[in-house]
Amino acid sequence: MKNKLNMRWTLVLLLTPLAAITAGPLEAADLNLLGSNGPPVDFHGFASQGFLASTSYNYLGDTTRGSFKFTEAGLNATVDPLPRTRISAQAFTFDVGQAGDYDVVLDYAQVQYTFTEWLGIRAGRIRRPEGIFNEVQDLDMAYPWVVVPQGVCNSRWRDMYLSVDGGELFGTIPMKTAGSLSYELYYGFQRPQLDGGFAIQKENLPPDLKVAWINSPLLGGGQLWWNAPWNGLRAGVALNVDQDLTFVNVEGRRSDGSPFTQRYSLEYFWKSWTFQAEYFTSRVLYQNTGGGAPDSVKLIDPDGWFASATYRFNKWFETGAYYTEYYPDKHDRNGAALAAHSDGYQKDAALALEFDAASWWTFKIEGHHINGTGQLFDNTDNPARGGNGWWMLGVKTTLSF
Amino acid sequence: MSPTHKFMKPISLQIALVCAALLAGALRAAPMEGFVVIANKDVPAASLSAAALKDIYTGKTAYWEGGQSVAIVLMADGNDAALKEASGMDASQFRTFWQRLVFSGRGQLPKKAEDAASLVALVAATRGAIALAPAEAALDGVKTIEIK
Repeated sequence: MKNKLNMRWTLVLLLTPLAAITAGPLEAADLNLLGSNGPPVDFHGFASQGFLASTSYNYLGDTTRGSFKFTEAGLNATVDPLPRTRISAQAFTFDVGQAGDYDVVLDYAQVQYTFTEWLGIRAGRIRRPEGIFNEVQDLDMAYPWVVVPQGVCNSRWRDMYLSVDGGELFGTIPMKTAGSLSYELYYGFQRPQLDGGFAIQKENLPPDLKVAWINSPLLGGGQLWWNAPWNGLRAGVALNVDQDLTFVNVEGRRSDGSPFTQRYSLEYFWKSWTFQAEYFTSRVLYQNTGGGAPDSVKLIDPDGWFASATYRFNKWFETGAYYTEYYPDKHDRNGAALAAHSDGYQKDAALALEFDAASWWTFKIEGHHINGTGQLFDNTDNPARGGNGWWMLGVKTTLSF
Repeated sequence: MSPTHKFMKPISLQIALVCAALLAGALRAAPMEGFVVIANKDVPAASLSAAALKDIYTGKTAYWEGGQSVAIVLMADGNDAALKEASGMDASQFRTFWQRLVFSGRGQLPKKAEDAASLVALVAATRGAIALAPAEAALDGVKTIEIK
């Protein structure tokens, strides 16, 4: 515990002067590491520290007592060594409740070559494009929320969702008066971790579901955005499918499945307003074998959505609200088949205020009213769950350069 | 109905055509007032369409013809209207948009200059640079790009 507190303060102490030094002219973060005639290496970084407190249930940490286990930090570098060629990488560490634990991971490390505006290729560890938040959920400055809408973007599943080791094609196809079409098509290995969100979620289920081994499945998918010809509107669809996600529980029982996920997104900038909405659904039929039990199949079929509106008053203040719902099984939206019916849904209304003290320093405060317990995860910490509404307060500050 | 009538456009079609023409006019970017587009002298383009300029300011075009990477330079304050016209976003939305690109490995953050003089100087010194400069600024060492 003491080490983790030290880690938090080390991040803050390292990044505060760095952000302050580079905050004015951003080119101060450009370094000529490759010689005075070489291309500059562009450095950027961020560190966020949050606090969450809730009534009734522990959510995203031990929040009923108030939790500071809500930290994110990243440092990236980008260089264009040759024409049309870019190399970039980012190291990232986070701690959210039981997930993360300050392990430093390579978020992305990629080489890309852009043939033309409508065709480029990217290879290495690449960020996985999926909807509005997936690529940028680490990046607190990219949205006014303390907690991104969990109905469509679970903060604890980063190991499963953020990156793949492989490659992708990308580009933007102009369509004259019809706007343009931006696409990314990717294929590669996912790297779920035994201490990551996916495994932890299973760990909070009955003991026989604890994960002892998990594979690195191949994942293929794509993200398509239609950029409307009038300013500020875009609509997207993302599809992806795993090729045989496999995990084995502590009793030797093996589960094989190929989750297929669909996501539909809408975003509109109008004057000082930003409107966003997204729906996702995922379906997987697990084949369960071995472990001394009869073979069986289990359908996992969740869905979720959110809609939000934000308004920026001036360069300092922005406010916004969102509503999000998540259903672990969309065929049982009331949780009728579950011992605790409220585990069948989670509905969250949030109201947020952001204060940008400087371009490099942001404060946020956010209130939530939540119905249901379908995304608590930490069910050993929440043994009695019911359908009454509960409240959560979030506060967060971020330094970036 | 006389035979000539079948060759006449129905009134609803005529209204639709008028609306489409008005919409097309509205979608065409008006010339920037009070600002000029400037670039480093190495930049091969002499002119850009408003749509091509928007593609640059929204990260869709990341390289000039010849392969030099595009480097957007912004003035810290005072060019919000021009930025809105070039990108379709206000200053805050533009900053957030580019942070999303940069921290997902998909772009390079625009550079920032404190005032018009340092903006022009930075564009002159940065290969591939492009910026929106106040029309009254002294444009020494840079080229102007015509927006068609």
